[in-house]
Amino acid sequence: MIVTDEGHFQTDELTINMGPQHPSTHGVLRVELLSDGEIVKGAYPDIGYLHRCFEKHSENREYVQAIPFADRMDYVAAMNMELGMCLAIEKLLDHEIPERAQYIRVIVAELNRIASHLLAVGTYCIDIGAFTPFLYAFRDREQILRIFEEICGARLLYNYIRPGGVSRDLSRGMVEKIREFCKYFRPLLEEFSQLVSGNIIFVKRTANIGVVPLDKAISYGFSGPNLRGSGYSWDLRKDMPYCGYEKFDFNVCVGEGENGVIGDSWNRYYVRVKEMLESIKILEQAVEQIPDGLHTAKVPKALKPSGEVYYATECPRGALGYYIVADGTKKAHRIKAKSPCFISTSSIDEMCSGMMLADVVAYLGSIDIVLGEVDR
Amino acid sequence: MSALKEYFGNIFTAVKTVSKGMSITGRAFLKSNGMIKNQGGYNYGAGPVTISYPEVKDDIPSISRNRLFNHVEGCIACNQCAVICPVECITIESRRKTPEENPDERTPENFGNKPVKLKLLQFDIDEALCCFCGLCTEVCPTECLVHTTEYEYSKYDRDSLNYDYLRFKDDNPFPK
Repeated sequence: MIVTDEGHFQTDELTINMGPQHPSTHGVLRVELLSDGEIVKGAYPDIGYLHRCFEKHSENREYVQAIPFADRMDYVAAMNMELGMCLAIEKLLDHEIPERAQYIRVIVAELNRIASHLLAVGTYCIDIGAFTPFLYAFRDREQILRIFEEICGARLLYNYIRPGGVSRDLSRGMVEKIREFCKYFRPLLEEFSQLVSGNIIFVKRTANIGVVPLDKAISYGFSGPNLRGSGYSWDLRKDMPYCGYEKFDFNVCVGEGENGVIGDSWNRYYVRVKEMLESIKILEQAVEQIPDGLHTAKVPKALKPSGEVYYATECPRGALGYYIVADGTKKAHRIKAKSPCFISTSSIDEMCSGMMLADVVAYLGSIDIVLGEVDR
Repeated sequence: MSALKEYFGNIFTAVKTVSKGMSITGRAFLKSNGMIKNQGGYNYGAGPVTISYPEVKDDIPSISRNRLFNHVEGCIACNQCAVICPVECITIESRRKTPEENPDERTPENFGNKPVKLKLLQFDIDEALCCFCGLCTEVCPTECLVHTTEYEYSKYDRDSLNYDYLRFKDDNPFPK
């Protein structure tokens, strides 16, 4: 520390590496923080530690073989990753999907959305410094993973949704189990929200921190809960319905600023909590209405679509779109995934500049990035 | 005056929210000891949620996809599993049967009653590469390649995860 002629302390800038093994970066993200004391002057996210060539791999495999790779993008919401990819391939093939298959897809996608949001809010609480809510969230997430294990045989990377339908029908008693889960989860979600949402320590750590104004959110291209947390009602399930979502009655949750201002970390968190409740509503309607029938359409063994398509679906972290150029052979000419987490990551520098050092964690957790999807 | 009000207000909020959280924690604690019961018949939180894993093992569903196993006596060396594997972890070698080698053998009736023309020379699965997608077991025409429910098979080096099913001696996932 040097004392200048005017008697002020001359401070120096210090570069701090946050990650890639930092627990609150949710994966292998390295953030280069330029700090002046406790104030962050700049935050430069360094990505690419988890790059696995999803796109190139998928272009060198047949369409069915590419789906396990799509699973591994956002590994906590793998069903939603598969769903988008299969819907894109089906749009190219122009196939009719049986109604039962569509209902099964909606059920598994919404179950996975709940599991993903539970992980998001649970680990966010850990970042903030509360350990108990994490255990509560994972206790309930475990129930969903068990349901998935019985539906498709895997807990995390399912490879369940295929072009034309799903790989196997719901086994006997599964519908009852999902109905039971909805009844079980409703009071527990309320309990979780009571434990965290209104807690003064949590509110003080998150409200008014990392405010993303709506114009900024739109100009960055945010989607999903991050955009809705900024107060804009945009949900592809409602606005561009796919897979029969128009048949279900649910609300699009937006941040309303109960604590803090709209667009801050608390509102992004609370949108996720509210969305879980909406997912339960969809699940309850889906298990009531699920028709009998085939679980998959008859599709040829070797898929040879042609043309190009962009298909976006509402994943737990935002609108994830697949752009596929097919040239009539077994393999795609080009597969590109547009990832919502990548966009959220790009906002870190601007939003974290000027923050206190401890608040960077609160912002990083609230945008809920999964590095598997950022790096692909 | 307002500063005083804010001061006591803050203390009140802190006590209120913390006691709210503590009451939930306390309820969970009492439930886990069986001291209070849930309303509505759902038994969440009663008893421990976790299991003491290495001693107690969880029941996993029979369709759970874990380590692969090939019943080589049923394998017809059709190579479909090796073709569909996205990570190319299955290696199959075969040759056409000579007239002395049981040329009239056919697959069982429920698997199409097709002639088995090839003799299997090598069937390797590198479990270190396997991504447990289940595509190979779906295409298997004789259903001899299956995912077992065995999930504890860690080894000290990567080579010993390459299972040669024709010379398979130890580590049988189907013990008697």
